[in-house]
Amino acid sequence: MPKITNCIRRFRFDHDEMTQEELANRAGVTRQTIIALEAGKYTPSLSLAFRIARVFNKRVEDVFQYEVSLSEDGPPSS
Amino acid sequence: MNAEQKRAWLGVATMTACVVGYLVLLPFFGPVVATAAFALYGINGFAGFIGRGERADERDRSIGRRATLGGAMASYMAFILGCMGTWFTVFAWQGRELVWVHVLGMITVFGGIVFFFTRSVAVLVLYGRHTEPDNA
Repeated sequence: MPKITNCIRRFRFDHDEMTQEELANRAGVTRQTIIALEAGKYTPSLSLAFRIARVFNKRVEDVFQYEVSLSEDGPPSS
Repeated sequence: MNAEQKRAWLGVATMTACVVGYLVLLPFFGPVVATAAFALYGINGFAGFIGRGERADERDRSIGRRATLGGAMASYMAFILGCMGTWFTVFAWQGRELVWVHVLGMITVFGGIVFFFTRSVAVLVLYGRHTEPDNA
């Protein structure tokens, strides 16, 4: 199964140790959702991913990483 | 714990109260009167007062939708099983033509209880598991 990981926790600490509550308010979600995101228990919608990236002034791919295993991605083409 | 989870816990608590009430009444009054214990499930209607005005985000809405779908599926199956079970028991097995007048009402109430209880359990399970947004 493809997995989306994120660096939200690291970026929060890089931004003056921003609290989960503050990030939640700025991204328009609840603190519980930020907790679930950091724990890898929730995959955000594209819209939420953009909103979170904008809070940190980063690109979406800087905050979120899309990992696909080789077995699902097929064999590497030559 | 958000409003959705509090409502789900209320649903589980009222169902527990119903089952305990039924088991307490059963030896004294028999199965027909003991079934009245399930009237306690009406307390679940107060769930609408929990967390009014509380903000719900995309994850809450996604979990709510999935839990509602699960509840509806379980309720539909319970209703069909109740109807077919009645048909099988009364007509096919006992060979009678008449059904007790309260059976349809009880099957309908049973379907409703199954819906709300399944939805409550699904909400509690989904908040503890990995979830995807609806547009993923």
